[in-house]
Amino acid sequence: MSDNNEKKVHGIVAEYESVDSLLNACRRVRDAGYKKTDAYTPFPVHGIDKALGIKPTVLPWIVLGCGLTGTVTALVMQIWMNSIDYPYIISGKPYISLPAFIPVAFELTVLFSSFGAFFGMWALNGLPRFSNPLFTDPRFDRVTDDRFFLYVDASDESYDEKAVREIYEQTGGEHINSVLDDDSSDKIPKPIFMAWGLVIAASVIPLLIVLKMRVTNSDQPRFHIFYDMDFSPAKDAQQGSTLFADGRAMRPDVPGTVARGDSNYDMNFMTGVDMDKLSAIDAPRAERLVRLSNGPIGPQDQDSTPAAEEGEQAANDSDSASGEAAKDTTPWLTSNPLGNSKEVLLQGEKYFGIYCSVCHGMNGGGNGLVNRRAQKILSPTWIPPSSLHQESLYSDQYPDGKLFSTISNGIRKMPGYAAQIKAEDRWAIVAYVRALQLSRNASIDLIPQSQRAEILEMQEAVQQKLLEEAEAEQQTQEAAAQE
Amino acid sequence: MSLAIPNGLDNSVEQPGQRAPLVLGDTTYHDITESVCQVAERKPSTSWVIGFLVSFALLQWLTVCILYLIYTGVGVWGNRAPIFWGWPIVNFVFWVGIGHAGTLISAILFLFRQEWRTSINRAAEAMTIFAVACAGTFPGIHVGRAWLAYWLAPYPSLNLWMWPQFRSPLLWDVFAVSTYGTVSLLFWYMGMVPDLATFRDRSKNKFRRMAYGILSLGWSGSSRHWMRYEKAYALLAAFAAPLVLSVHTIVSFDFAVSQVPGWHTTIFPPYFVAGAIFSGFAMVLTLMIPARKMLGLEKLITIRHLDNMCKIILATGSIVGLAYGTEFFIAWYGQVQEEKFAFLNRAFGPYWWAYWTMISCNVISPQLFWIKKFRTTPWIIVIISIFVNIGMWFERFVIVITSLSRDYLPSAWAYFSPTWVDWSMLIGSFGLFFTLFLLFCRLMPVINMAETKSTLAKQYHMSHSDEH
Repeated sequence: MSDNNEKKVHGIVAEYESVDSLLNACRRVRDAGYKKTDAYTPFPVHGIDKALGIKPTVLPWIVLGCGLTGTVTALVMQIWMNSIDYPYIISGKPYISLPAFIPVAFELTVLFSSFGAFFGMWALNGLPRFSNPLFTDPRFDRVTDDRFFLYVDASDESYDEKAVREIYEQTGGEHINSVLDDDSSDKIPKPIFMAWGLVIAASVIPLLIVLKMRVTNSDQPRFHIFYDMDFSPAKDAQQGSTLFADGRAMRPDVPGTVARGDSNYDMNFMTGVDMDKLSAIDAPRAERLVRLSNGPIGPQDQDSTPAAEEGEQAANDSDSASGEAAKDTTPWLTSNPLGNSKEVLLQGEKYFGIYCSVCHGMNGGGNGLVNRRAQKILSPTWIPPSSLHQESLYSDQYPDGKLFSTISNGIRKMPGYAAQIKAEDRWAIVAYVRALQLSRNASIDLIPQSQRAEILEMQEAVQQKLLEEAEAEQQTQEAAAQE
Repeated sequence: MSLAIPNGLDNSVEQPGQRAPLVLGDTTYHDITESVCQVAERKPSTSWVIGFLVSFALLQWLTVCILYLIYTGVGVWGNRAPIFWGWPIVNFVFWVGIGHAGTLISAILFLFRQEWRTSINRAAEAMTIFAVACAGTFPGIHVGRAWLAYWLAPYPSLNLWMWPQFRSPLLWDVFAVSTYGTVSLLFWYMGMVPDLATFRDRSKNKFRRMAYGILSLGWSGSSRHWMRYEKAYALLAAFAAPLVLSVHTIVSFDFAVSQVPGWHTTIFPPYFVAGAIFSGFAMVLTLMIPARKMLGLEKLITIRHLDNMCKIILATGSIVGLAYGTEFFIAWYGQVQEEKFAFLNRAFGPYWWAYWTMISCNVISPQLFWIKKFRTTPWIIVIISIFVNIGMWFERFVIVITSLSRDYLPSAWAYFSPTWVDWSMLIGSFGLFFTLFLLFCRLMPVINMAETKSTLAKQYHMSHSDEH
């Protein structure tokens, strides 16, 4: 010590050859009352904590805290992200479906605990520490090989160098040395420091570029790394294309394609026209009707009128000239090919209810919900739907085939329904419309003898009720007027 | 100082009333330091250089393939409807499985006080980390737009305005595999710090001393440090043990939670975990036997170590075989038409060759380990382990490909054919694995010196107490 006056002495260290001699020395040092002691060994020596009087570590509590933090973090994160901030409905499960959140909660518990154990241990050990006075002794390099060292710190309350040396000598300690201050620099060499700084600076640059891009506006178009991922070469339905002669991206169905369940080739049934007669009168028109109703438009139909237009044209022509019925020379079918059995009428009622009643009303009077609404808001473009109870629409003036064609192709503002209602159901609607028309003109003679009395009774009761309602309404109106 | 232990080189013989020694010969603490450090300190051998160059070339080829994939799109793989998972997922599950032995040896065998783990755990842990690195590559590039893989993380996104879906097993997988990779890395590194300090203290040149000095964090071997270190190590082992079981369980959920016939079974978690340990141990043996020969570590990695690992392979291989049988039984017993078809199709359908390769490699070959001669002859162990590795790759192929190729929509059924990119990536992933492993052999302590020394201390203590 005396020959090293200029250097601070940290403590005194001795080298031992075996675990047993080290443990023995540890006990002696502990019993002599030294507290600031430590042993240095190449591997963990069991029992040395007792021999030196080292207290147990608090590490497990730190780890417990970290683990619980992990569990809570995971659960709060999942519940907040998937149930509160952006609720997902998956398989009809509740928003907070705990079983599905357990795997991630488990993983994060383990992750946080492991971080706690790893970083907590280094922190408690005061590592990393790159300058240690013990390392100034070249013999100390063997601490990680095969030698055991015992150290007593000079700042210990009962430190007495002579006494410590005596214990060391008695217990077989070799190379007993004072531990002197490390006078070599513990600073990181400048080139390494600079290189490290450069690496960190360089790694931040891409992030800064990304950040800058995110927050600034640019008048340059976006840079597309993968152009066809941003702009799919696939065409949209109504787009043009230079690939095909007709210039359309959307390809028509192959000629002769038949929709599922629509394979009826009876042209009279599909058009409502007696085709044999039509071909006798107007062969080209008959041919076109067949072609148009038999499949979609092929290239050969480019210049011809589409099916709907053709039908509408015919209907419009005949309608505009309804006063001069003679002008409509089309040989319409005059009877419904389905007949009018109860099944057909029920089917017709169903489809009339679905498709027709919204405008024409449930009773066919022309005052459906849409019409009422249009009248209410005084829509300027609204053309009121026809009442189906006009005489001009009765079967003697407006044949079944023509009614079928009107349903199929539309008239005035009414669109064609061929695309929505199957031909069979359209014919059923025709039958039902005829039944509706009949309901306002039926004579009592059409009712079977046995049920006539019942009907007449019902009629009286209904009339009575209507009268009472009318009176009640008048009274309330008067009352309102008086007030 | 010499700690003479009188025994021969064969410690696989059971001696009643006595623990077999795990460190052989007339070995001292310093001998352990010497034999482990010389691996990293001497000049690299020719075989190491050749091995490294080949692996590194394969790794570069993998990089080229990944760049080609990213530039062109996932169409360069053989993944076609309905087999969208294809080889990348087969390779992912294969590598994750391999990555299970390391932590199992480190954590579970540690908790069960199986001291024979000490001389093999370091290399096995390293293998785990490199296998997880290989595994992580595949889902990362399989997402198609690899540059958007960070969308998997739950971060407040500025362009999505939404969060990941936490009820999906695929997301659990992200958490499980990344947690596993992280914890394995911490565990491995922490275990290595005292040995890196040994490297530091033996370093002759300044650069080496500084590099290992930084890596060893100023470790001094203080008893207080050792006490906290051991506590932390035990705690990490206690977490890693359930973690290692959870990882492959969650990987199996990727399959089992779906509705695909052949996947939707509750047996998957235990069956996958057993398979993972099975394949992991096979890979440890495949690497360790040539390594112990080349690096001259026969006294530390003894025949007894190999014998024990073979027994684990035999046990897990039998569990895997039982699982295959159970799957078939349940497919019949459950009387679900699709399930029955899926399993018959596996064994007798267009992929019969893959199925029977799997059965012969995984079920039949490990049964040879019932014979002690086979468990103690290194070259036979290497051959059987390689068969097990092949079999386990085929197991994942059978599960992923056969089930997807015959899904619920027969009009979509297809036959999978891999492209050259698929092949290159499988081979290239071995390049990545071996590059990392060979670098590890050169630069890091391949055997846990500190723990082996404490095993030796116990052995020494025991042989001395016998004398009293």
